[in-house]
Amino acid sequence: MKSRRAEQLWFWLFTGPALAGFVLFSLWPMLRSLWLSFCQYDVVSAPHFTGLRNYAYLIFSDPAFWPSIKVTLVFAAVQLPLSLAAALGVALLLNQPVRGRGFWRSVYFLPSILPQAASVAVFVYIFQSDGGLLNRVLALAGFTGPAWLGSPAWALPVVIMISLWGFGYPMVIFLGGLQNIPRELYEAAHIDGAGAWARFRHVTLPLLSPVLFFNVVMGVIGALKVFDVAYAFGAAQGLTPGGPARATLFYGLNLYQQAFTYFHMGLASAMAWLLFAVIMLITWLNFRLSRRWVHYGD
Amino acid sequence: MLSRFREPALWIALIALAATGFWWAGRDREPAVHNGRKVITWIVTISPLRDFYEQEVAEFERQHPDIEVRMIWVPGSEYHMKFKTLAAAGRTPDMFYSGDVWISYLLPFMSDLTPLVQRDAAEIGLDDYFPEIRAAMQRDGRYYVVPEAVNVALLYYNRRLFREAGLPEPAADWTWDDLVRAGKKLTRPATATDPGVWGCSRMEGWWGEWLIYVRQAGGTVFSPDGRRCVLDSAAAVAGLKFYLEKSSRFGISAPGGYEPVNGFVNQRVAMLVGGHVNYWLNYNQTPGLDWDVQLLPAGPATRRGGEVAIAGYALSNITRHREETWALMKYLTRPAAIAAIVNRGGIAVRRSVAEATLRDPLRQGSPRHLAAVYAQLKYAEPIPRHPDFIEIMLQVVQPEIDRMVMGEFGPEEAGRRAAAAVNQYLATFAGRTPP
Repeated sequence: MKSRRAEQLWFWLFTGPALAGFVLFSLWPMLRSLWLSFCQYDVVSAPHFTGLRNYAYLIFSDPAFWPSIKVTLVFAAVQLPLSLAAALGVALLLNQPVRGRGFWRSVYFLPSILPQAASVAVFVYIFQSDGGLLNRVLALAGFTGPAWLGSPAWALPVVIMISLWGFGYPMVIFLGGLQNIPRELYEAAHIDGAGAWARFRHVTLPLLSPVLFFNVVMGVIGALKVFDVAYAFGAAQGLTPGGPARATLFYGLNLYQQAFTYFHMGLASAMAWLLFAVIMLITWLNFRLSRRWVHYGD
Repeated sequence: MLSRFREPALWIALIALAATGFWWAGRDREPAVHNGRKVITWIVTISPLRDFYEQEVAEFERQHPDIEVRMIWVPGSEYHMKFKTLAAAGRTPDMFYSGDVWISYLLPFMSDLTPLVQRDAAEIGLDDYFPEIRAAMQRDGRYYVVPEAVNVALLYYNRRLFREAGLPEPAADWTWDDLVRAGKKLTRPATATDPGVWGCSRMEGWWGEWLIYVRQAGGTVFSPDGRRCVLDSAAAVAGLKFYLEKSSRFGISAPGGYEPVNGFVNQRVAMLVGGHVNYWLNYNQTPGLDWDVQLLPAGPATRRGGEVAIAGYALSNITRHREETWALMKYLTRPAAIAAIVNRGGIAVRRSVAEATLRDPLRQGSPRHLAAVYAQLKYAEPIPRHPDFIEIMLQVVQPEIDRMVMGEFGPEEAGRRAAAAVNQYLATFAGRTPP
């Protein structure tokens, strides 16, 4: 009995700081933001309860809400498959027994540890319409390049291209998954006459599906919350954040502006909880659908 | 016996540790008094003037041995974030910057300075401020900032490019037509060996330039009572049309999205409408850039409409040292301090400093035509005094202007769409602050 109490004490002693941190800096702010989402709150005055007004304004009146959702969904729908395909493709290559494999793994992972703002600044130089590297190359070939950054039609594709640069983390996870696939299965498939594509389709993909599922779930969440690249994109050009014409107004950026530019903390809290609800829904759907294609080998 | 007390002792130690942690996290890091001196805090943007401000503060502290000034240096891009974080934590710095454009947003943190300004009107030389600047210091007749710097929209031009094109420099009586005529002669298409020159810049992504034309064409953004957007009026549309046609019809400005980066500094752009005084230092440090300024060309309706914007010091409404902070504000905005700032490249907010600068025979560097700067003040107007001006302009109006610039629709449609969207916003939040 005594030792059990002592064990409890040590448990609280060691987990206490982490739990206190979680309660103070995560749980309490989350609950507070839920309350604030039903209030008008400008940081200085006391929150004033307004019921569902913030949610109603967002859904029915805010000129930026739906465009920001559209931008974010398009980004997620295009960027996520492309980044996962790139990460998987490179992971497959880096899993081959070639010389200098460790070096190439480092090279491909390197962009992921670069600050996003620095990457964006470089890409903004490449994509400048007047005097940018890409348009200079196009001019040499006799073409007039578009206004990549200033055009609402091109700005989002450029942001997607920039964000593809950092696929290092899913690549490493894929690589780990690939190394756990038993070589005998490939040898058996090879003996049975399976070609490279068949081996990939019927051996690699099924056995990699839990890893792929993990990357999809994390990728969806990351894509819906994207902020840094959008913020840095606007800042690097001196553009109105989210511009031109709301073409890069991601949901996270819109939320940030409402909270920290315009002091609409209640509205921003409502946006955060709507995002939370959407992410929960999509993640739940992902888990439901995963039963059909994820194989855990049991 | 000892083991009997070990467990409670551990619990007590744990609770004491947690309590110490909370005390440490919550303790007042900026005490009201330190070593017998009253502590006032000032959040300052990191700028080339840092050494100047530090010297000023050191001198102020020498003259006021009972006051200690703690300067919180913050990069410009993080200024608002840092300020709001401090404010949210109940630690609003005693003194902070605010442009007049931000007063509406920062008003909840500001002291009404009117009693202090009226009490010390002679000492601060209230009459020494230009009337346009005095107007910009106020909201509804109350003073909230003491100005240190001012920007006024001007016509900037590259003297070398004018010489090479065989053109006389812009005159004070220029109109839009003159701007277009000169712009056409200055525009030089790019070739394989020459990046070319655009006659006139076109500022995209914010209201800085197009609002000038809207106002000069006789239009404005809001109706006089501020309850309706009137960007769809014929006059406002005429201003938007000129902004658009600088590129699409007259060909003196780059097409939408193709504006050369830093075009005026890189001498790829011969004229710039609007501009900012903050760039003067950069311009003067750029080798070979020979530049000057002139009054804005007059529009079809009026010469008025160029923007005037001030930046000044505000006093926290929760300060514990109101008089001490006010003393620092007065010290930093005295004529000698303003003159020192102007000497580093800037416009004087005080008439006396402006006159001294204009008379100074030893003054060198650009702009040579400093008289135009102060003359333009007479025609300048502050931005509309709507409490949600920035949000409305950037979030609601600017996307429609962007689409117009990219050729999605014309100025009539842009004005109509912008007005409709703003009116929807105003209807939702009529008479009250947005959520």
